[in-house]
Amino acid sequence: MTHQEITLTVNGCRLSAEVERRLSLADLLREEFGLTGTHLGCEHGVCGACTVLVDGVPSRSCLMLACASEGRHVVTIEGMRGPVADALREAFRESHALQCGFCTPGMLATAIDLIARKRASSEDEIRRELAGNLCRCTGYQGLVDAILSVGKRTDL
Amino acid sequence: MNENIGQLETRNDLQVGRPVLRHEDERLLAGTARFVADIRLPDMREVAFVRSPVAFGKLSPVEIPADAGPDSVWTAERLAHRVLPICATLNRPGFHVTEQPILARGKVRHVGELIAAVVASSRAEAEDLAETIVPGIESLPAVSDPEAALDEGAPRLHDAWEDNVYLSSGRTIGPFDEAVARAEVAVTRDFRMARVLPLPMETRGCVAGFDRGSGILTLYLSTQRPHLIRTMLAEQLVGIEESRIRVIAPEIGGAFGGKSNLYPEEVALAAMAMELPFPIRWIEDRYEHFLSASQSRQHVQRLTAYAMRTGELLAIDARFLVDGGAYSMRTSTAVVEAGMAAAVLPGPYRLGAYRFETVTVATNKMGVGPYRGVGRPAAVFAMERMMHETAVAIGMEPHAFRARNMIDASEHPYVSVSGLRYDSGDYKTLLSDAVEAMDVASVRAAQRLVTAGDRRLIGVGFGCYTEQTAHGAEEWHRRGSPFEYGFESARIRIDPSGSVLVTTGIKSQGQGLETTLAQIAADALGLPHEHVHIRHGDTELCPYGLGTIASRSLVMAGGAVEGAATRLAGKIRAIAAANLGCGPEDIRLQDGTATGPFGNLSFAKIARIAYLELNALPPDIEPGLEVSYNYRPPVESGTYSSGVHGARVAVDVDTGEVELLDYVVAEDCGRIVNPMIVDGQIIGGAAQGIGQALYEELRYDETGQPRTVTLADYLIPGAVEVPRIALRHRETLSPFTVFGAKGLGEGGAIAPPAAIANAVSDALRRYGVDVRSIPIRPRDLWTALRDKSFAEMEP
Repeated sequence: MTHQEITLTVNGCRLSAEVERRLSLADLLREEFGLTGTHLGCEHGVCGACTVLVDGVPSRSCLMLACASEGRHVVTIEGMRGPVADALREAFRESHALQCGFCTPGMLATAIDLIARKRASSEDEIRRELAGNLCRCTGYQGLVDAILSVGKRTDL
Repeated sequence: MNENIGQLETRNDLQVGRPVLRHEDERLLAGTARFVADIRLPDMREVAFVRSPVAFGKLSPVEIPADAGPDSVWTAERLAHRVLPICATLNRPGFHVTEQPILARGKVRHVGELIAAVVASSRAEAEDLAETIVPGIESLPAVSDPEAALDEGAPRLHDAWEDNVYLSSGRTIGPFDEAVARAEVAVTRDFRMARVLPLPMETRGCVAGFDRGSGILTLYLSTQRPHLIRTMLAEQLVGIEESRIRVIAPEIGGAFGGKSNLYPEEVALAAMAMELPFPIRWIEDRYEHFLSASQSRQHVQRLTAYAMRTGELLAIDARFLVDGGAYSMRTSTAVVEAGMAAAVLPGPYRLGAYRFETVTVATNKMGVGPYRGVGRPAAVFAMERMMHETAVAIGMEPHAFRARNMIDASEHPYVSVSGLRYDSGDYKTLLSDAVEAMDVASVRAAQRLVTAGDRRLIGVGFGCYTEQTAHGAEEWHRRGSPFEYGFESARIRIDPSGSVLVTTGIKSQGQGLETTLAQIAADALGLPHEHVHIRHGDTELCPYGLGTIASRSLVMAGGAVEGAATRLAGKIRAIAAANLGCGPEDIRLQDGTATGPFGNLSFAKIARIAYLELNALPPDIEPGLEVSYNYRPPVESGTYSSGVHGARVAVDVDTGEVELLDYVVAEDCGRIVNPMIVDGQIIGGAAQGIGQALYEELRYDETGQPRTVTLADYLIPGAVEVPRIALRHRETLSPFTVFGAKGLGEGGAIAPPAAIANAVSDALRRYGVDVRSIPIRPRDLWTALRDKSFAEMEP
């Protein structure tokens, strides 16, 4: 059998699909569900552009099979809402943390996780934590500044 | 030279010069921006390519699998009636043209060359089918090293050529022999720079659809030059007029030069779409990107500097051998790198005599194209390494030797020894800014205390450059380019409701041009920038333009937007004056309102008059509120940005590992339109340059097989590898451009290899080791250090 019926929650909506077993989560999101905010930069798990939150954990949607998302809660950039996501979006804009914007969805997913795990208290820490997300435009300075400014907030 | 400069400087409500937040960001942060891979057309099918697995070989006609559907496999024979081969030309004597088939025929010349295209309903199915097609190729001995390509018995890539040379050229300028005879010091170095590639995070891609009813071919394409690609497609495709081709460049996920040339995949998709009843899509994967996106900057260099012991630089002798790959890309050609390197080598220095020779050779590798800086990173690396080593040979502090030979700000306009006309710039001040930021004195003090037991040595180094930007027709003509990037366009329309739409021929790929151009239009019109909406990248919507390359868009499209907006402002004044009972000169435009001595009118009201209430419009004023303007710079030799990069490093003597401690960029890009965006461009460029200096390298084996085909093999810097970059700004206005702006998109990427290599060489002076190749690999330093011993006295 090459296909499998799966049900998962994406951005708060319960969705079902019959998927090929070899289909990646990224392709399921982009091609089946039309959530093209998740970007594919390398499809071999290095660049991090495709990072989404699976049960709150940053995950490479290019490496994860769609079948493996059965029953999971997936959040993509389209569904990143709430005070932390809002603060990060504002900080990204204020700190010029994006230029072409292609790596941004993965950066936001990773940043949300850093804030949640309280791993955004110093520049060095943020740089280490961002090691799995590549950006070719910004030189990372704006990204680090943006995440640090949100990490320092005590009201979130 | 430009009357607008004074006008702008006297106003305090300007939006140009402010760190306005970007108009682009909201959609990118929401995940709703549409890149080419996000385009969905009804009944769209997917394309996968069969590519050559060998670097050089004789190709038999492709056998189509028996069970393949009628429209599923496309070969060179199948497309022959529809496409012409790509032949990039250059109007230079002795230049050899390559004939690049869209799909290979007869021979394959690099790994990754297109052999066949496959269409299926999903990408996975297309890839499955492509894998079943095994091309019949009889391998030939390949050439992958540029020096080997020059050997007498080297395999010849192109049958019509006598050797593997695209173009060789050379000149001796000034009293070279006299300078050599007079020189007290001569320093010679051989350098190598590895091949790199721009590597935007978004790969290439194309969606093509043909509307049989209207005969219109639409291509969604990740490209920097939508209009020129359309013009070229009309030439490459048989049976379609340019007016029936529409190219849409949607959101672009970075380009850096790599999406400027015309690619065979794009021609193939267009041609196939014309024969198919459904639209088709090809999205390059990263593996394909490493095989078939344009590559850059591979040099073998020999330099000799001639100087006096007083610190006077007399002459430079330079030889550049550039690896041009298998085919010349259209329109950069394979020789884009060498020609630029030779011209810009003298940089900010007064140089009396200069001899250069450039040779660009064909090898069985992917072709080369522009990458942020084109030729300048290599030229600046060569020149600045020589400035450093010559200073060391003389016994001078390297930055003092540089300052001794730099052109004074008062000497502008200055014609360089290679014939470039520098318009303005204060190089010595930039240098002293960088020297101060690096605290050279404290580095020297620490270095004096170093002993043989110290295993971590620090060093400081600099890299200086001048950068020709926004050059016009005259300069492109001089280079022999078949396309002269001589103008840029803008069309501004104020709608009946008063909102402003600007369309332009350039294409933003992340530079924030929707914001900076809005700032420029807003100032000229007198309204808040938020009300100015910039559209670009659609050949049907936007006026013809040359696209975003060569650090030209802010100056050229900015000039066009300013020109169109100024003209439109004049019309607004005329309409307002006629309705307010005053003269047009009495009208002040501010915050979207035209104010005269006896009253005011909003732009919305003026627009309604112009479109819908013509009874209030004087008959001698043409209805409508729309102006088109094409900006051609008054001086076409370009405007010159300049910069000095400084790096402080620590080198581990036992491992050869380099740690980048501090980095400063002192730069001057004329009038700064948006300081936030300028900083972002410089820092981002510098990060790419740091990548080239320390990590990035496209490796091929001797048979021409690429060895770096994933992001795990080809290392671009991450957040840990890029230090915080300090910036120092100076604004020397250009006398030639609208409000004195200069281009800056490329500058950041130019000097890092030079600055970092000089810093590493400085750190290792006691061991007599200096950097000869880029990237600076730990194993190269380790090998060089192995048989050297520590000099107790400073050399």
